[in-house]
Amino acid sequence: MKILAIVLAAALFVAAVVYLLPGGPLGFHVKHAVLCVVLGLLALVWLRFQTKGATPTSVR
Amino acid sequence: MTFAQALLLAVLQGASELFPISSLGHTVLVPALLHWRIDRSDPAFLAFVVALHFGTALALIVFYRSDWVRIVRAGVASIVRGRLSDDPSERIAWLLVAGTIPVAILGVLLEKPVRQLFGSPALVAGFLILNAFIMFAGERLRRGARDNVATRALATLPLSDGAKVGASQALALFPGISRSGSSIVGGLLLGLSHDDAARFSFLLATPAIFAASVLELPRLFSAGAQGMLGEAALGALVAGLTAYASVAFLTRYFHTNDLRPFGWYCLIFGAVCLTLALAKVIT
Repeated sequence: MKILAIVLAAALFVAAVVYLLPGGPLGFHVKHAVLCVVLGLLALVWLRFQTKGATPTSVR
Repeated sequence: MTFAQALLLAVLQGASELFPISSLGHTVLVPALLHWRIDRSDPAFLAFVVALHFGTALALIVFYRSDWVRIVRAGVASIVRGRLSDDPSERIAWLLVAGTIPVAILGVLLEKPVRQLFGSPALVAGFLILNAFIMFAGERLRRGARDNVATRALATLPLSDGAKVGASQALALFPGISRSGSSIVGGLLLGLSHDDAARFSFLLATPAIFAASVLELPRLFSAGAQGMLGEAALGALVAGLTAYASVAFLTRYFHTNDLRPFGWYCLIFGAVCLTLALAKVIT
């Protein structure tokens, strides 16, 4: 799961950059880019919870 | 748009964003009923709408300021610690994150196409009637479940339930379906009391409305919106004051009351508007 969190975070940060490229393959979308950054940060938080203890989604 | 129209729209937005009667539906239907000629794609009008949402979000933040301070502190503390403690504020912080993710993704991807497809007064009126039945059904199912299942406190919900309420909030992408109505119903179906369901709904609405309006703030300074800044500032203030009064009223209202009166209102207003739209009296 740690690998998944890292890959997810990296993919989302790359997608954010691509969304901000004028004339890029995904088009120029600031909102999409901001969303990708926020979700990427949350993936890193998920990674931290896995490293240190219970993940936020596994605690019931 | 005249000054009086701007004021009425601001009051309408501030109240209907939090009352479970669909703000978007009302900002389509009321101008149509009053035969206002408003170009909804005009940059000046879009900037005005952004200002109204910004005012509404600020009102919610001010009303729940002590909750937000606790929630943000607890959320940051849990990240620093790397695990969750038994602090209810921590749980609520992560419930809000879990609830905001579905609506953020669906909102960014689907908001524009859905509103373009379903923006006509007849369809909006139809969705308003559907909104009424969502609330009636939510109340009925909740009353049925209350006999078998004990009411749960907000801070005891698993995070997956936060995501479910967030997903139900995404129904409000359809103009006429209320954001607060659908999320309160979502909370009720998960076993929350009306009190807790409404509180979670209003807390959950804040990041979505605030982020959406902040991201759109540059519209206020676009070339087409320059003549509208005065109306936008006044509109934000009026919408904020109305939203504050609305959330203050609703948090008391849901101590002892339920969604049914709002359901009846949506059903009657939706039916009247649908009839008028089908008779081509409003377009």
